[in-house]
Amino acid sequence: MLFFEDQDSITTAAEGRVEGIAKVTGKGKYAAEYTVENVCYGALVGSTIAAGSIQAIDVTNAKQVKGVLDVLTHQNKPLVPGFADETKIKESRFGLPVFHTDKIFFKGQPIAIVVAETLEDATYAASLVEVTYTTEKFVVDFREAQASTPLSMAGKERGSMEAWSDAQNIVEAEYNIAAEVHNPMEMHATIAHWISQDKLKLYDKNQGVNNVQRTFARLFDIPTDNIEVISEFVGGGFGSGLRVWPHVLATILAARQVNRPVKLMLTRPQMFTAVGYRPQSWQKIKLAADKDGKFLGLLHQAQHSTSVYENFNEGITRIARLVYSIDNLKTESSIVPLNLSTPTWMRGPGDCTGDFAIESAIDELSYVLKKDPVELRMKNLSLEKSPDTGLPWSTNYINECIEKGAARIQWSERKALPGQVKEGDWNIGYGMAVGMWNAGRGNASAAIQMQKDGSLTVQTAMTDIGTGTGTAMQNIASEITGISKQKIKIELGNSTLPPAPSQGGSTGLSSISGAIVAVSKALKQKLADYASVQDEVYKNATTEDIILSESHLSFKTNGNHAIAYTSLWETHNLNVLEVEASSGPGEERQKYSFCSSAAHFCKVRVNSKTGKVKIDRMVCVADGGKIVNAQAAANQMSGAAIGGIGMTLMEEQKVDARVGGLIGNDFAGYHFAVNADAPLIEVDFIHKPDPNINPTGSKGLGEVGIIGCAAAIANAIYNATGKRLRDLPITPDKILLA
Amino acid sequence: MKPFAFTKAESLPKTLSAKKETTQFIAGGTNLLDLMKKHISQPDELVDITSMLSDKIEAHKKGIRIGAMVRNSTVTLDANILTNYPLLAKAILAGASPQIRNMASAGGNLLQRTRCPYFYDITTPCNKRQPGSGCSAVEGENRMSAIIGYSEQCVAVHPSDFCIALAALDAAVVVTQSNQKNSTIPFSDFHRLPGSTPQQDTNLPANALIHSIEIPVNDFHKNCAYVKVRDRDSYAFALVSVAAALDLKGNTIQEARLASGGVAHKPWRWYEAEQYLKGKEANAVHFKEAAAMAAKDVKPLAHNGFKKLMLQGAIETALQNCLTT
Repeated sequence: MLFFEDQDSITTAAEGRVEGIAKVTGKGKYAAEYTVENVCYGALVGSTIAAGSIQAIDVTNAKQVKGVLDVLTHQNKPLVPGFADETKIKESRFGLPVFHTDKIFFKGQPIAIVVAETLEDATYAASLVEVTYTTEKFVVDFREAQASTPLSMAGKERGSMEAWSDAQNIVEAEYNIAAEVHNPMEMHATIAHWISQDKLKLYDKNQGVNNVQRTFARLFDIPTDNIEVISEFVGGGFGSGLRVWPHVLATILAARQVNRPVKLMLTRPQMFTAVGYRPQSWQKIKLAADKDGKFLGLLHQAQHSTSVYENFNEGITRIARLVYSIDNLKTESSIVPLNLSTPTWMRGPGDCTGDFAIESAIDELSYVLKKDPVELRMKNLSLEKSPDTGLPWSTNYINECIEKGAARIQWSERKALPGQVKEGDWNIGYGMAVGMWNAGRGNASAAIQMQKDGSLTVQTAMTDIGTGTGTAMQNIASEITGISKQKIKIELGNSTLPPAPSQGGSTGLSSISGAIVAVSKALKQKLADYASVQDEVYKNATTEDIILSESHLSFKTNGNHAIAYTSLWETHNLNVLEVEASSGPGEERQKYSFCSSAAHFCKVRVNSKTGKVKIDRMVCVADGGKIVNAQAAANQMSGAAIGGIGMTLMEEQKVDARVGGLIGNDFAGYHFAVNADAPLIEVDFIHKPDPNINPTGSKGLGEVGIIGCAAAIANAIYNATGKRLRDLPITPDKILLA
Repeated sequence: MKPFAFTKAESLPKTLSAKKETTQFIAGGTNLLDLMKKHISQPDELVDITSMLSDKIEAHKKGIRIGAMVRNSTVTLDANILTNYPLLAKAILAGASPQIRNMASAGGNLLQRTRCPYFYDITTPCNKRQPGSGCSAVEGENRMSAIIGYSEQCVAVHPSDFCIALAALDAAVVVTQSNQKNSTIPFSDFHRLPGSTPQQDTNLPANALIHSIEIPVNDFHKNCAYVKVRDRDSYAFALVSVAAALDLKGNTIQEARLASGGVAHKPWRWYEAEQYLKGKEANAVHFKEAAAMAAKDVKPLAHNGFKKLMLQGAIETALQNCLTT
């Protein structure tokens, strides 16, 4: 956090984000913004066909552009040891062996990188690379290809399908969701700098610097410590930065080839094919209940797309096994290979998709049963234990989320029958749905450096992709040490700092918070150790006995046996006091299941003449355990809800089966929700710590903010209009034609 | 982007006579830069004409004149326009984003090119971009495409909102020719239907510049509305848009204007429906009838059948909104 080092920097407000001022003043540097001496620029050339192979690449014209240094292709690239042969390529699990194959798997596949003195030269020259291909038959139409991959069991069957074959109250329906693209505001970018033959420095946009570091250490067969990855500021990720993508390797190879640092930033259209997306999906639900509303059985079938060169499975049916107690359950799935780039995790991966179908079907069933959908859900929740693992939940307050949300939106205003409330051409309705997510935790490390003026620097390699990780670290460190937030600096997003897992799957805070607690305690212990030389009372002191103030430590009460830090530093000839600690999950994982959850409620208006849907109110109540920073947490939730609005009402990456690839892959063609599409999201939390998950009791929130949004909106549209929309996005045309 | 020379125009006559085929004029540049970045327009030279054109909005006896260099956002803030021609401001505010409206010029707004996704993707055939290469949209992804006035060669739609209001208000485009004479093109003749030459969007003569836009005095200021149905509520092109204007005496319609965006290669006037409304009471029944009359002639493509219903709904809504907003 550079700005903390400025003499004249404004101190952050205690409640503000630690990186807030750096971000709004532009002092915070995103990957592409670093200045590296002698840097040159890369531009990728993408294939224009969907399947086949490269016959020839003519770079003559491209090379004639002033400033062009080189053009890398599969013919002249420096060999990556990890791609030395087909077996190694497979073992690398890197996905696309960029520049190490002449095969084309999808349209837009990077086949060359032009390196030039300026971005303008590189970009122009890239347009002059001429390629001839041998084309092959391609498949990009998901609906057409679906039948080719039969379903297989996804998890163990519970009970039997026969047990409820004669159920009276049954819903059976199919649901489709279009492919969606993350499109964080900051486009992915890399500056690759070979410091020496086997030392690499990367400024790179990603969600896990250690993952990037390990990946390239393996591929280049060099020690992990020889690679430094810096990702201090990240302008949004949503899952797109959880993998290491081909363009990063392309940049590293280019830097090696021209023996200079190379900077590459993807263009917005490239963002649609280079860093993954939420795959297109199909689902079928069969759900039955007895007359009292107790669920009798659920059949959940799902398929989603993947690429032809990699199997990606996001686990759509996982959520079927998480929320409700259902005796008879069968889940089946398959993935459908297409000549498109590999999809990846996108906010609420799998569960977000599966939840839309299940929570829509439950709503449909509520009308069949003539039961309130809130009541129907409450009746079937599995609150004591995880229906899948059978282990008791450590904590599960999904019922409280539902109750709180229902009260907030005034659920009692909802009419039991659809299409009852009209204002002019607008039909008004209410809908709700719930979301849940396995609350994970990984091993993480953190360090503290303490100065004799009592100020701390807390460090970890974990990134902060905008979720408020750094701010939460500061909050926790302050709470445990007793040192005020103003005296705590945060340093993160650098692989030279203590290692931490990637920031994804709502595990970031859950993982790092344990490390921050551990290292804060380690600091107290270390101070006590030093103090014991001067004062016997500290000899067997525990961390609870140590009180830290701005200037001194004390025993049990402030001022008791006080020793000034300055004196301690002098006595022991200290410059800076350093501690490091790690923390991770343990045997609690064998005893309990862990979940985060949320209830989403909304009120919508649907125009009968234009098909327009307006969301009047959206209420999201989440159980994220202890809320470490209420503003950052609420920000996570409302961002996720707006993502949910986009998913439900407009996001759709179109594929043209004749062109063999994406069409409209820019911001004119691809719409995500903007402020005008969203009301002020009303967020609330249950705010009860989970005593077992980690030392802070906080559970992740990133995913549950979106899981359930889509069904809540679709269910509200039904309540408003009597039109059941099972295909996302629900654009105005679908409303009009329903 | 292909490298290009950049000059600032110093005199209009010189600029017009010196213009080569590979030269392009730039004003706001909000569309041209996109086209250059996507290698659709590849001029050798850009000539900045911003200082050559009027940035004034001038009222005169017969109407109002909007200089070609007036920024789109300026139109939405002009007191005279807000009082006497509010439909123009309503339409502009339904388009683009504040940043783009601050940059974009009035003249440039008329000259923006279609937003068909195939036109913007140089790896696909497009007759508008590459005459004779074929139309990818006619059998492809044509949800956004035209429902009237299209040809087998091109099904793209005109993207402007401002132009829909200008069409409704019977505007005219004043053009400075290369001989420096000004001539006037009625708005309805300014934009073209694709026919067999979809590469030509307008009838602006070669080496000519838009000088200004004339809007005649009218009595539509009290009852006019712009309805734009789109996939999201800001920064999205219209699925269907409707500019509606009524001149009412009591509740009787003296004259009506109806124009649409998102339906054709040019701003489309619904003359028959306008004629029908003349002399009728302004009420839901007549509005519905007028909307049906407009919609009866449209011929949707494979993926935009909904536009017929949407057009009807949007016309009804716009006419209704004329009475309330």
